[in-house]
Amino acid sequence: MQSQTNSLAKRRAASTRNAAIIFLVPAFLFLIIYIAYPIVYSFNLSCYNWNGFASNKVFVGFNNWKELIGDDVFRKAFLNNVIIMVLSIIVQLPIGIALATFLDFGGKKLNVFKVIWFIPMLMSSVAIGYLFKYALDASSGIVTGISKAFGGHSIDLLGNPKTALLTITVAICWQFIPFYMVYFLAAYSSIPSDLYEAAIIDGAKKSQYFWKIALPLMKPAIKSAIVLSMVGSLKYFDLIYVMTGGGPGTASELMATYMYKNAFLSQRMGYGSAIASGMFILITIISLITIKALNRKED
Amino acid sequence: MNKNLKRIASVIMTVAMVSTAMIGCGNSTSQASGGAASGKTKLTLWHIQTSTAADAIKASVKRFMEKNPQYEVEVVDQVNDSYKQKLAMAMSSNQTPDVFIQWGGSGLIDYVNSNKIADLTDLMKKDNYKDKFIDAGINQCSYNGKIYAVPVENVSVAGFFYNKDVFEEYGIQEPKTISELEAACDKLKANGVTPFALANATKWTGSMYYMYLATRFGGLNAFADAASGKGKFENPAFEFAGNKIQDWVKKGYFIDGFNGMDDDSGQARQALYKGDAAMDLMGSWFTGTVLGENPDFMSKLGFFQFPALDGSKEDQSLCAGTVGDNLYSISETCKDKEGAFKLIQSLLDDQALQDRKKLGKIIPLKDFKPDDALTQKILDTVNKAKGVQLWYDQYLPAEVAEVHKSTCQEIFGLTKTPQDADKELQSAMDAYKAKNK
Repeated sequence: MQSQTNSLAKRRAASTRNAAIIFLVPAFLFLIIYIAYPIVYSFNLSCYNWNGFASNKVFVGFNNWKELIGDDVFRKAFLNNVIIMVLSIIVQLPIGIALATFLDFGGKKLNVFKVIWFIPMLMSSVAIGYLFKYALDASSGIVTGISKAFGGHSIDLLGNPKTALLTITVAICWQFIPFYMVYFLAAYSSIPSDLYEAAIIDGAKKSQYFWKIALPLMKPAIKSAIVLSMVGSLKYFDLIYVMTGGGPGTASELMATYMYKNAFLSQRMGYGSAIASGMFILITIISLITIKALNRKED
Repeated sequence: MNKNLKRIASVIMTVAMVSTAMIGCGNSTSQASGGAASGKTKLTLWHIQTSTAADAIKASVKRFMEKNPQYEVEVVDQVNDSYKQKLAMAMSSNQTPDVFIQWGGSGLIDYVNSNKIADLTDLMKKDNYKDKFIDAGINQCSYNGKIYAVPVENVSVAGFFYNKDVFEEYGIQEPKTISELEAACDKLKANGVTPFALANATKWTGSMYYMYLATRFGGLNAFADAASGKGKFENPAFEFAGNKIQDWVKKGYFIDGFNGMDDDSGQARQALYKGDAAMDLMGSWFTGTVLGENPDFMSKLGFFQFPALDGSKEDQSLCAGTVGDNLYSISETCKDKEGAFKLIQSLLDDQALQDRKKLGKIIPLKDFKPDDALTQKILDTVNKAKGVQLWYDQYLPAEVAEVHKSTCQEIFGLTKTPQDADKELQSAMDAYKAKNK
């Protein structure tokens, strides 16, 4: 009797495993073809000089990597990425939480705001880029218009190396705050409502509920949001590409735009691959450290 | 039994999922090899013309297919901005379109050395077809004495396009020399009009000023020598160009925020249309753009050649630009090169010439006669020129061209001195030469 149930359980486990394998194979194949293979291939390409279409690639060993380590523009691009990362985390997440809290406490009557605030998330990055570019146009944009209405000069935010990056960061925040708003709304809905009721019955104020109960319960969500925002900022590309193309000069250059320029505009596919691989290594290391650090605090 | 059914269902599902993936792959390969099943030879053509000019190509191709029913031509309209990257991608996977456009210069040399582009010398010499084109056009299509393309589109040289109303209002004549130009600029400035409309996030737009000033100071040789390695970019001609530009920027000759504006989305043209700015240094495709975008403005549009440098010994008639603009080439992998060549020729048949003339194009044919005075003036400027300086960013190898565009933008932004910019450009050139020995 004992042995029979045992073998039944075994058979069941085996068939689950087979089914799992069959279902996972397609996804796994896609991952290999579109994620794993390109990563390995760009590491391989980073050891060649290649213009992107010639049939002969010249093997140059680690020359591209040596150049990358000494490359001031890449270093600057990395620093720009870090600036965007830090600003994104300290601006987007708190505002996202604030909006989510407002909507959660307000209930159904605030659904209008939920829809309105979510709109930026529905627009494509390229559309947002052009929108901001026209709004910030130094001769006929909104900012200049306001300044001129008060008798000021025209204001050039995107063409000025000192302000270009910060200006784009504002646009990035505008684009992604709705995402974190929805994200934290979901986190709120995962908090059981009896906790809220119990707290209120025990005489807690709404602010006490937020700081003492909701926020600690959302900690795991906040942690993943930090990692998400971090990785997203480090490989950021689209708004910068549309709004300044990394310029003026290299003022708003990011690692990804620099990679694109080298690989596709300068036709240095090998060096571009070295940048891409360098980015991959940097982002992996930073993410691992952050995840470790965030998890350690929990213990 | 039930379990077996489930298992069968799961297998079927998996096969379905995997095979859709396969179908995805299958499609792309069959596209490349051409639809041989229909019994017709399939040719693909990539171009970057827009609006009415694209319609003209479509009409030519339609006539070609009616006359030659054995061909089926697929015309793909590409976007200028990402075209080079797309073409490189297609070439690397051996899916180069049968007929495609390129701009000559370093790109052409790369394609020839990588064996991706067909030699058209024999086809061009047949029936003396090549003699129909002006020599500068054929030169631009040639490398090492062989012809690789047909200069179909346009003679595009840069010059100042200006708003005639604004010039008239302040009593300004077309300046003949740079000092006259500066006097005109000061007069405009004093009256609250910005002299130059420029959208320089695009970078090649500012490069035109740099290119013309350097050419006025040092002729064709200063640049040709620097590019070939005989000379250097750290040279008085380029320093003059950089200093002049910074001088003009400091005097406020350019519209506010030009380094953040994008030419493709028309941010500079808007200023010219509105009369906020008076002049725009641009390639002669500008007339076509205005015709399509703001036809009412055509009557106010004037053109003059980039003024001469006072007291310079160099030839001041030189133009900067390209003779042919988009050069139509045939891929080395094309299976029916003669058919593809006929297709290119059809883009210049009598009807097509009429269509293109209406678009304000100057086709690089020896017997070309434009209909309107503005186009005639541009053509005269080209005919008077003793030579044409090809755009720096087409002439230089891609990676050096990128450095040029970026440093030139920084000269305009006053974030780099001309000396530092020239030094950086020279070291990029040296690095390129060292790698490609």
